[in-house]
Amino acid sequence: MERMKKQNGTEDIPLFISRSNITTEINKTGSWRFARPKYDEKTSPCSAACPAGEDIARIQMLANQESFKEAVHTILIENPFPAVCGRVCFHPCETACNRTGFDEPIAIRCLERFLGDFAIQESMKLPPEKLPENGKSVCIVGAGPAGLAAGYFLTRLGYSCHIFEASSEPGGILRWGIPEYRLPVKILAREIERIKDFGVKINCNVPMSQNFLKETKSRYDAFFIACGYSRSMQMNIPGDQAASDGLEFLRHMRREEITPLTGTAAVVGGGNTAVDIARSLVRLGLNPIIVYRRRKQDMPAFKHEVEMARKEGVKILELFAPIQIEKTGGACFLTLQQMKISGAETSGGRAVVVPDGRVTQLRRVDHVFTAIGAEPTEPWQFPPEQGPETLHLGHCTFAHRDRPLMFGGDLTNPIKSVTDAIASGKQAAMALDAFFKKGWDANADRLAPYRVGSGPALSMESYLKGEHTSRNRHIVSYEEINTDYFSTAARVLSASLAVDESVHSFLETEETYTFDQAVEETYRCFKCGICDSCNNCRIFCPEVAVVFKDSRRVIDLNYCKGCGICVVECPRNAMALEMEI
Amino acid sequence: MKKVLEGSHAVSEAVRLARVQVMSAYPITPQTHIVEALSEYCSNGAMNARFLCVESEHSAMAAVIGAASGGVRTFTATSSQGLALMHELLHWASAARLPIVMAEVNRALAPGWNIWMDQTDSLAQRDTGWIQLYCEDGQEVFDTTLQAFRLAEKVSLPVMVVLDAFFLSHTFEPVDVPDQDIVDGFLPPFLPRFELNTDNPFAIGQMAAPTIYMEMRHSIQKAMERVPGELDQVEQEFAATFNRRYGPMEAIHCDDAEVIMVVTGTAASTCRKVISDLRAINEQVGMLKLRMFRPFPTDLIRQVLGSAHKIAVIDRNFSFGVSGIFAQEVRAALCNYKGHPSVFGYIAGLGGRDVTPETLEEIYWKTKSTDKPDAESIWIGLNPYSSFQSRSNS
Amino acid sequence: MEDCQIMLQQKISDKDYMYPGHVACPGCGAAIAMRFALKALGEKTMMVIPACCWGVIAGPYPQTSLKVPILHTAFATAGATASGLRAALDMKEDTETTVVAWAGDGGTFDIGIQALSGAVERNEDFIYVCYDNEAYMNTGVQRSSATPFGSRTTTTPGKDWKRSRKKNITEILAAHRIPYAATASIAFPEDMIQKFNVAKQLKGGTRFLHVFASCPTGWRIPTEISVKIARLAVQTNVFPLYEIKNGIDYRLNYKGDRPVTDYLKVQGRFKHLTDDDIKQIQDMVDEDWELLRRKMENNLVT
Repeated sequence: MERMKKQNGTEDIPLFISRSNITTEINKTGSWRFARPKYDEKTSPCSAACPAGEDIARIQMLANQESFKEAVHTILIENPFPAVCGRVCFHPCETACNRTGFDEPIAIRCLERFLGDFAIQESMKLPPEKLPENGKSVCIVGAGPAGLAAGYFLTRLGYSCHIFEASSEPGGILRWGIPEYRLPVKILAREIERIKDFGVKINCNVPMSQNFLKETKSRYDAFFIACGYSRSMQMNIPGDQAASDGLEFLRHMRREEITPLTGTAAVVGGGNTAVDIARSLVRLGLNPIIVYRRRKQDMPAFKHEVEMARKEGVKILELFAPIQIEKTGGACFLTLQQMKISGAETSGGRAVVVPDGRVTQLRRVDHVFTAIGAEPTEPWQFPPEQGPETLHLGHCTFAHRDRPLMFGGDLTNPIKSVTDAIASGKQAAMALDAFFKKGWDANADRLAPYRVGSGPALSMESYLKGEHTSRNRHIVSYEEINTDYFSTAARVLSASLAVDESVHSFLETEETYTFDQAVEETYRCFKCGICDSCNNCRIFCPEVAVVFKDSRRVIDLNYCKGCGICVVECPRNAMALEMEI
Repeated sequence: MKKVLEGSHAVSEAVRLARVQVMSAYPITPQTHIVEALSEYCSNGAMNARFLCVESEHSAMAAVIGAASGGVRTFTATSSQGLALMHELLHWASAARLPIVMAEVNRALAPGWNIWMDQTDSLAQRDTGWIQLYCEDGQEVFDTTLQAFRLAEKVSLPVMVVLDAFFLSHTFEPVDVPDQDIVDGFLPPFLPRFELNTDNPFAIGQMAAPTIYMEMRHSIQKAMERVPGELDQVEQEFAATFNRRYGPMEAIHCDDAEVIMVVTGTAASTCRKVISDLRAINEQVGMLKLRMFRPFPTDLIRQVLGSAHKIAVIDRNFSFGVSGIFAQEVRAALCNYKGHPSVFGYIAGLGGRDVTPETLEEIYWKTKSTDKPDAESIWIGLNPYSSFQSRSNS
Repeated sequence: MEDCQIMLQQKISDKDYMYPGHVACPGCGAAIAMRFALKALGEKTMMVIPACCWGVIAGPYPQTSLKVPILHTAFATAGATASGLRAALDMKEDTETTVVAWAGDGGTFDIGIQALSGAVERNEDFIYVCYDNEAYMNTGVQRSSATPFGSRTTTTPGKDWKRSRKKNITEILAAHRIPYAATASIAFPEDMIQKFNVAKQLKGGTRFLHVFASCPTGWRIPTEISVKIARLAVQTNVFPLYEIKNGIDYRLNYKGDRPVTDYLKVQGRFKHLTDDDIKQIQDMVDEDWELLRRKMENNLVT
């Protein structure tokens, strides 16, 4: 321009052309909008299905980003036993996994195990966040998973906890009822140690009785009874005293107090205990057969365990029930009644069976073990059924007598699993806290805001942070996932011992994921309902209206026209579009 | 240095010496010799320029619009149908205020196909915002082309240099072609008032709302109004270097003329001879050669023609339904002038038909002998259709 | 082949050369296309935009919606104007700046095809982008030669829906044997940005990109599925993603496996089609796909 002036002296000639001198930023096109997108994290079905309410999608995301410590913290805030649950949980999360509709569910349990072992390896402590000590103390009866979990969660909420355990070591079913090849004692010990370090006091070798409760009543503000089912149920058939108590057998195994056995064995029952006994017997060199009165598919044992047992040589005799045992010399003669399915009826998803006429079978074995269920050892351990000031909370029963009395674990859980036991410990802790803070009335409702999805599982994380932090409880369905952003990929399998090797030792049959395996599997996860910063919302925005503010994505409503592309292109339904008119 | 050049090559030489950087054209007779020579210059290194051989005149004009927006000196040439095809972009070039120079060889429009001299093509573009300069001979073509670049770049408007088909484009005459350094002294490198630049990005040519469009159009007119003054300045500088000047128009014997003949292009040369002959027999005749048609030199027209009795405008063009276009414009310029002369409109020499001294003399005598024009347009040398139809039907 | 399906969006530059506040319709695919293109092209780019939706989206006087220079030009002229601008930059010895002609389907398939073919025949050194929304959207959804068989527009209304096929512009361009011609979709950002990167690198000749840019307004679809519909076009092979180097070296980038009905049934412009019509469209798509597959198999260059 300067040069032009010197040269031609024509700068005064009018030159008013269509040329820009500002940007379109002055047009606040947000005024066109009648629908508004928002970031709206929802609940993943795995989380909703997890009795412990673990924020699984977020854990997967963090592991995917290789932020393993953060992933472990996210588990621990809801469940102090990732290494245990990563081994023994029946993983309802995987059953609920949306990925099933696409190819195969995510191996959530395997990742949890990896993270649990990672935490042990790294000597990670439990997350330190605690409410201030409130001066109240709680007596917990039983150091099984429910009692330990209750102690852990109550401590986090500011209570002082004493756990009393009848046996010589804490752990309950985990310590005494699960074989070493499924859960090594040293793994369990490390996770219990961590709870002790957190401030939970555990007193072992204290026999539990009604008297004990009476004596200690004045010393505690509340009681949590979680002594589990430690007595095997009897078959009540002629000669049943010839059968060995299956749970007792497993306890002996854990104590390494087994007298050598040989020959054949019949294990009566279809649950996990039956399978555990059978697989342990294989390892001791016996030929076990599981005798189950219903069909194989009706067995309450985990499918995976049943399959492993079959691979290891365990036979399963279905639709037969023992009606008599005769012990002659060293051998047992088992009379078995053929059963048949009674119509199309089911009971808890299992076929109802009735004796099939007089068809019987006589079977000779060297040993018989019973594993048809367990029950509390003493009547006071039964929670009250009804009564004034008795609440059934799902995982627990809350009885308000002169002192708050909470029953949990197997005593009250409809599903007798380790993770449900942990869930009941958490529920007990939160229910007691709600009781002390807000009183008895509507105790159950007080916990409602902290439910994960629609299920009974509760989130300790949101309880600690307050009601306002609770996530949208909408459970993301498969149809709500934008599967265009995913490719099918086979589930990553963890390494396992060959069958011929596993049957000769009590070494763990399954190995923990390697670092690479863990990360690879998390790539498969849809991460339903949570933002994993994939950036699709920003990438596809035609308005350049998704911006970063304090390193978080926000929608600039000055310009957002509300087209909703971000919501549809969110692969995992972590956004929502709401009408503004 | 004097060279014997055809009019087309007078253009080419001027374009070469103007150091044009980007040219684009599509071949059409009789413009072809211009672009052929320019292609040759690019090929043999006489010019450091890009010549884009595009697939149409529409694209030729678009290409130079693109190039001029990029801030370089540009040139194109066309004729007739080609110019008509460019029409849309002629508007674009002027409203975008790009100093594009174009040589336009006046040729008739089809049908029937006719490659010969006719002015309707360029005059049909009179409302496109281009400056139009009509040339009489080879030297004027050369000089006007050089001046056109200076003028266009001063006022940020495109310039059309118009020359007659064949009578000028294909006729050899001696032309003084100066050395490059002398031309450089007159025509410095192009320094655009705006150009696309990634360091200072802006959009040009975008949508203009009713709230602003009128002002933009007004700005073009204000620039047009500056053209006579700026042309004068350019011609002064040109005359200082080359000792030649033309002005927006040239008046000969007009001061005391009773009849003034208004002519353009090569007809002006013919008219000079006719005037001279008529003056020799004491006829009070004058002539006005119109060089600058856009902007139309209304004031000068009034000054020169206002005192005459009769004006005879010779149009080698026609606006159907009205009259010859020059006549229209002259009438419009004089209509508000007190006691203005009668304007006789003559149509002659369409589609390459000769305008001879006899044609012009006939026009003079007809004008002199008639009080008032008996029609808006008087067609000279028109034969009855029947004389053709009887031949074609036989 | 399916590499573009995987989420690798970390690769996409976070830098934008487009301002908010532009006046594209909500959900505009063409706006998304421009964002992606400039992420690859960067600031040393000049846009030549003829009459098209982008002539409006780029902003009225005195605004601009881009951080790069824009030269607005007449409808038929993108190829020629870009040629001229390129020539000017060459004369100024600016070899760094990429000139991009950015035209709609009308300005490319119809009124601009002559100037485009001319420029491409000269192998002009620029990138020509046709963002294709399959009709004259800016003027109110009139049919163009890019409008597909079966579509209703305001000039193919009611029972007179368009019964001629869409012009195959990419093949027309490839027939000029230019260095690079490719199709791209706003639903496949990595693939599209990668292609713009390739185009940017291949200086010295014309690079043509045919970008599928959905138009909720004209296609009568909800705005939020604008990207999804573009993805469906690829997934159903209605708009295959492929590249052609030097007019002969074909490379398919994605193989769709969904029926065309998935794509057609969600769009208002196709809602009148009968099962027989849809079958006919499926046959056309299959035929085109087979043709493309054979071309890829018969590559002269391996």
